[in-house]
Amino acid sequence: MDRQDQHGRSRTRPAPARSRLPFVAAAAAAAAFVLTAGLATPLNPAPQKAAAEAAAEDDGKKTLTVAVAQSVDSLSPFIAQRLLSTSIHRLTYEYLTNYDPKDNHAVPAFATKWQPSADKLTWTYTIRSNSRWSDGKKATAQDAAWTFNKIMSKEGTATANSNFVTNFRKVTAPSPTQLVIELKKPQSTMAALDVPIVPKHVWEKVDDISKFNNDKDFPVVGNGPFVLTDFKVDQYVKLRANKNFWRGAPKFDELVFKTYKDQDAAVAALKKGEVSFVAGQPALTPAQANGLKGEPDVKVNNGPGRRFFALATNPGARTRDGKKFGDGHPALLDKRVRQALFLSVDRKAIVDKVFQGNAVEGAGYIPPRFSEYSWQPSAGQELGYDPQRAAKLLDEAGYEKKGGKRVGKDGKPLNLRILCHATDPNDKAVGKYLKEWWGDLGIGLKVNCLDDVSVPWYAGEYDLAFDGWSVNPDPDFVLGIHTCAALPEKAKESAATDNFICDKKYDELYEKQLAEYDPAKRAGLVKQMESWLYDSGYMNVIAYPNAVEAYRTDQIKSIATMPSAAGNIYGQDGYWSWWSAVPASGKTSSDGGSSTGVIIGIAVAAVVLAGGGALFALRRRSTADDRE
Amino acid sequence: MTTETASVPAPQEPENAEGNRPPQEVKSPRALAWTRRRHSAARFWREYRTHRAGVVGLAALVLIALAALGAPLLVGSDAQSVTEAPGEAMQAPSGEFPLGTDQFGRDLLALLVWGARISLTVGLLAAFLSVAIGTVVGITAGHYRGWYATVIMRVTDWFLVMPTLVLAIALASVMDRSVWTIILAIGVTTWPTTARLVRAQTLAVESRPYIERARALGGGHGHIMARHVLPNVMPLVLAQTTLVISSAILTEATLAFLGLGDPTVVSWGGLLQDAREAGAVSAGDWWYLAPPGIAIAVVALAFTLCGRAVESVLNPRLGVSR
Repeated sequence: MDRQDQHGRSRTRPAPARSRLPFVAAAAAAAAFVLTAGLATPLNPAPQKAAAEAAAEDDGKKTLTVAVAQSVDSLSPFIAQRLLSTSIHRLTYEYLTNYDPKDNHAVPAFATKWQPSADKLTWTYTIRSNSRWSDGKKATAQDAAWTFNKIMSKEGTATANSNFVTNFRKVTAPSPTQLVIELKKPQSTMAALDVPIVPKHVWEKVDDISKFNNDKDFPVVGNGPFVLTDFKVDQYVKLRANKNFWRGAPKFDELVFKTYKDQDAAVAALKKGEVSFVAGQPALTPAQANGLKGEPDVKVNNGPGRRFFALATNPGARTRDGKKFGDGHPALLDKRVRQALFLSVDRKAIVDKVFQGNAVEGAGYIPPRFSEYSWQPSAGQELGYDPQRAAKLLDEAGYEKKGGKRVGKDGKPLNLRILCHATDPNDKAVGKYLKEWWGDLGIGLKVNCLDDVSVPWYAGEYDLAFDGWSVNPDPDFVLGIHTCAALPEKAKESAATDNFICDKKYDELYEKQLAEYDPAKRAGLVKQMESWLYDSGYMNVIAYPNAVEAYRTDQIKSIATMPSAAGNIYGQDGYWSWWSAVPASGKTSSDGGSSTGVIIGIAVAAVVLAGGGALFALRRRSTADDRE
Repeated sequence: MTTETASVPAPQEPENAEGNRPPQEVKSPRALAWTRRRHSAARFWREYRTHRAGVVGLAALVLIALAALGAPLLVGSDAQSVTEAPGEAMQAPSGEFPLGTDQFGRDLLALLVWGARISLTVGLLAAFLSVAIGTVVGITAGHYRGWYATVIMRVTDWFLVMPTLVLAIALASVMDRSVWTIILAIGVTTWPTTARLVRAQTLAVESRPYIERARALGGGHGHIMARHVLPNVMPLVLAQTTLVISSAILTEATLAFLGLGDPTVVSWGGLLQDAREAGAVSAGDWWYLAPPGIAIAVVALAFTLCGRAVESVLNPRLGVSR
């Protein structure tokens, strides 16, 4: 999910400053990786195989290896924002509450009970007394209070979780089992505070928390179902089971997140049995998924995802005090143009062709998986695929078609740019379709694919952009990124805003839903916000991609998805998948023929190498013979 | 240009002197020059024909170039359209699609033919850009000597030791994704070899007495470089160009494969990149991977064969007609 992050646009965790960091691995590295992986695997399977088996059964230790594409940004809960890092925090620290794997409602975790006061401004949490840190000390309410106070102190500690605490007045721990949070105004996310609680006795010794990445002293002291034991940048993160975990020890003894920058290499490793699981971030491509379905002992999990894939239009970037910047196309300030663009996007074709059925057609802002908040446009409101209506809207907006091109009143043809993530194949593929659809409409499109979209994005120098976020069970964060308060203070500064949207009506609704404690009423408000977003044409959700991931059934007997009926395994809102995973009975994969794909890959590489060698030889000869 | 340079392969003074004589002294100088050029072209071709590998390479190139030029007629102009793709995703080769289809259901054979256009265009333009820069740098450095030459050759050295691919990747990733970026990236990173070669030849040419004579008769820097040195280094430059083209095509494919090309344009390297991203490697869809790879190898090989033949025909040291 580097993809996601650098995508940037989809984080799973609420946080104010989004990082659209570049795909850390240069594509070159990825390519080299394919080659080396392809060459190393079948030529000398023995040592790796042996190693894998040794780890898996020889010393009786059950290891679960997960292939991930993303890099760890930081192991400090105060800084980390990426899905991989926050998933690790889910495993190594306790949160006040957790989400039920069946239906996402808040369930006890570090807190066993939580209760608001009559005025809704004071929340009292009862902290469990049977949780211990991995160094033997008891975990208490003091640890929780210290953690929240540290985030509120804003000494560079609020990078990851500030949206939870901006509304906090005071956090205290009157007794080891009681945590009291006083609020400035009511806040509906109090049962969904996704903040890892860290051990006070360890962290208060840290000199500068804002720069501390928590990767010096292993094992790292925690109280989650797993304990972090080792970490090497872009290589692996190792965790061992916490046998004293209050909910029960995990069944696997060790959990390893191994970095595979290239998804195809990870798939090959899964086929060879070197990894037990390939994370669906980025989702496996249809070809990979279909190829794996034919493999013995491999199960492909294709569940509804928690992400949306959208087309964002630049509404005119500006700062909080209204100073305009960036160079978004002025035509997009007209709602009719924005809607016309979306009207000429055939979402069904994109789901069928690009995602090949591994996605759900887009509508409201929140994926249908979160049924209480998901919203569908009414029949009259819906912007379905209708190029004729799009053409009419453009005519009305003053963009007449002349000689196949839409020309504005100033006589200039309408040409737009779209910002795309160079590392996301789906962005590029959808870009090809958009170029043709909009070309038929008479609008020119330049697909501008970058490794790091954050620079033009923060600078507001884009017309359209591919956008996507992972949505939490509590939608507060993904809604908050479209409020005026999220706009940057200074031009081109990084800020919490997603797409520079700032609207009074939307902000009012946001405030109301945040203060609404009645779930049904709150859902109603959230749906109104989604409806506004839909009509605005600023965020056009094209699809909700599925989480497509795969694991070896001869290494993992069973593993929980979330939601349990049909859902994802990697990147859950909780530790359920890895905590619940049951190892298969010691059998490892058959050591048969290596996969055809790898052999062909090698053959092609050999041909290319031979060709290159021949070329080189010829050139050498010519040089030696003839040149002066 | 080709034929003319062929006519002046070696620094033979009389010929050059003749070529530089004022027009009024000769009857119909234009006709004379053209006769001379025709003769030398014929001589060049006679000589070239004897290199069998060169002829094979040339034939392959002509075939591929014809296919690329005739792409709209051969495979239809809508072959690149994703919205009107005729097939299903990732189909294996069949009667309808001889090389199968890609993830959008487009005919891969048609894409391969269209891809030839970009690969050839980029290869040729980048090679010309690279050789042009190299020639200018080489001739000026060889001509002016002194501190200018020292400075410019140190710059050349610096570019020479920089890994070309890394530099090209850096350039391509900071600029817009487009075909011109790739051309520029290859052009400005691969010129040092040419510069070095041309400088050596320039030094050799400039040490000959007729240059001194031209100077004594009042020939300025520009005159000497353009009229005396350039025609004499041209054979070398030409041979170098043909050789650089093949490496430029390879570099273009590499950059496209690494995802630094324009994603909306079909090129061979881009096809390989698409195949990788679609998961064709692990799925074992060889028909998606092999043809673009082989095409790249064949074109690069063909250009090298031609370049080598041209080089040995035009070799200044051996002379054209032995």
